[in-house]
Amino acid sequence: MKNSRAFSLFAFSLFASVALTRGAEAPTITISKSDKLAVAIGTLSGADGAAAAKILQNDLAMSGYFNIGPAASAGFVIGGTSGGGSLAGTVTDRSGKTVLSQTFSGTPRGKVHAFADEIIETVTGSKGIANTRVAFVSNRSGHKEIYTADADGSGVHQLTNDANISVGPRISPDGRTLVYTGYKSGYADVYEIELASGARNRIIKSPGTNTGASYSADGHQLAVIMSKEGNPELYTTGAGGGGARRLTRSTGVESTPTWSPDGAEIIYSSDDRGTPQLYRISASGGTGRQLSTGHGYNTEPNWSPDGKKIAFTVRDGGGFSIAVLDLAGGSARVVATGEGPAWGADSRHLIYAEGGSLILLDSQTGQKTTVVSGFGKISEPSWSR
Amino acid sequence: MNTPRLFQFALAALIALTFTGCANGKKKTGGGGGGADGDFVNGTPLPERQEGVSFLGSNVDRSKFSPVHFGFDSVAIDSGERGKIDEVAGFLKSASNTLILAGFTDERGTPDYNRGLGERRAQAVREALIRAGADAGKIQTVSFGAEMPAATGGGESAWAKNRRAEFGVVR
Repeated sequence: MKNSRAFSLFAFSLFASVALTRGAEAPTITISKSDKLAVAIGTLSGADGAAAAKILQNDLAMSGYFNIGPAASAGFVIGGTSGGGSLAGTVTDRSGKTVLSQTFSGTPRGKVHAFADEIIETVTGSKGIANTRVAFVSNRSGHKEIYTADADGSGVHQLTNDANISVGPRISPDGRTLVYTGYKSGYADVYEIELASGARNRIIKSPGTNTGASYSADGHQLAVIMSKEGNPELYTTGAGGGGARRLTRSTGVESTPTWSPDGAEIIYSSDDRGTPQLYRISASGGTGRQLSTGHGYNTEPNWSPDGKKIAFTVRDGGGFSIAVLDLAGGSARVVATGEGPAWGADSRHLIYAEGGSLILLDSQTGQKTTVVSGFGKISEPSWSR
Repeated sequence: MNTPRLFQFALAALIALTFTGCANGKKKTGGGGGGADGDFVNGTPLPERQEGVSFLGSNVDRSKFSPVHFGFDSVAIDSGERGKIDEVAGFLKSASNTLILAGFTDERGTPDYNRGLGERRAQAVREALIRAGADAGKIQTVSFGAEMPAATGGGESAWAKNRRAEFGVVR
């Protein structure tokens, strides 16, 4: 046993170095600097125009689509007026034609994030990630509590303050509500918080452990692991936690379900055949089909909004890595060290936890940005779309 | 990894059949799904919770019995741990107290998987208690995953102490 453990550790380090190198050097699509669109941020006038220009520059750079430079060489020039809770933004193309002219309202940062995403959608046709929220667990208070932040790491807000154990947050795709596993009652229950009002309800409190709750793309259903019938199993429920329907019947541990964008299927982890593997099951029932990943320990799958791929956590030795599997076929690709990946609205960026920090990865370029660090130990991130 | 795990399941299935027979439709299955008619279960359903009774609260005695310990990524109860279960089963048969079984893991898994694994450990001990004659209606379970470790610091000696199921006797 000891020998084989030592060997697998050795084999892992060998494999990991190959896989990581491959991940960094041969991503599926490479956008080199010259492939990026040249944009210029012209004049943003108004009371908080200068601050808005800074936030906008960061949002556009984070998207991965743009080179931001002087107006003379830019394909698109951005302008506008920002102040008093609103931002009137414009984008003109090289010919001087206005391609976007819209007013955004909200917080000083929120209105800029909304403008950034509109620019991205107008110019590239893809959804942006700026005007989204992330949720995560941190132990910085001495207890595990749930926090939220903007996708750029600003506006960190402590959501729970129970001095207990609050874990496994999953933010709804529209960013309005959040479910998590809380131990306030002494049992593991699923709570839901309406983010605007802070109203909290204990929505699943079956006997045993209730955990892993995750919203469907339309926010109308939850997938959740409950053990009330004598073993942890995968269920679906309505958004309020009622109307539970059992999907799996296994002797193993089911965990971390994720929905397909059309709500028809769920991918989850189960160790029913030994080590945790990923299974794909119809949300209306049936038998889970195992996905071949080439890894012995697979948990925390997260289905991309475009439906084409999943990111998940693998463990091949002591440490965790983030892998991406194309559901149309092919083998899993390790893209980073870390755990708990979540896709952004663009199906391009991933957030995950590494070494207690929250990291943003551009899966096309390999560009990594630390979003939140020095904030206790961060784990189990989730991302609105 | 696979082979001993499958063997454990086979053994568990055999024990379940020996003790309970097939009258209640109890059988074991492989694979992620199950029978289309859904007429089998793998464990004994939990009773409704006693609200207000918390494993973390002062109305539960967590030190009356020694925890059952487990191997790495395992839910099998080693023969060396059987004595602890027999002792608790004997207590439950003679006393009117109810029990909350809390499952825990070491820190090496991902968080939600650990919550499930801890629950499986608690449920494995619950099944063993039921087979030893305890009343299923008196035993609740909860999993804390890798939270609340019994021993801090890395290394197998700490991990081995943390892979456990604790008995919480409701006063």
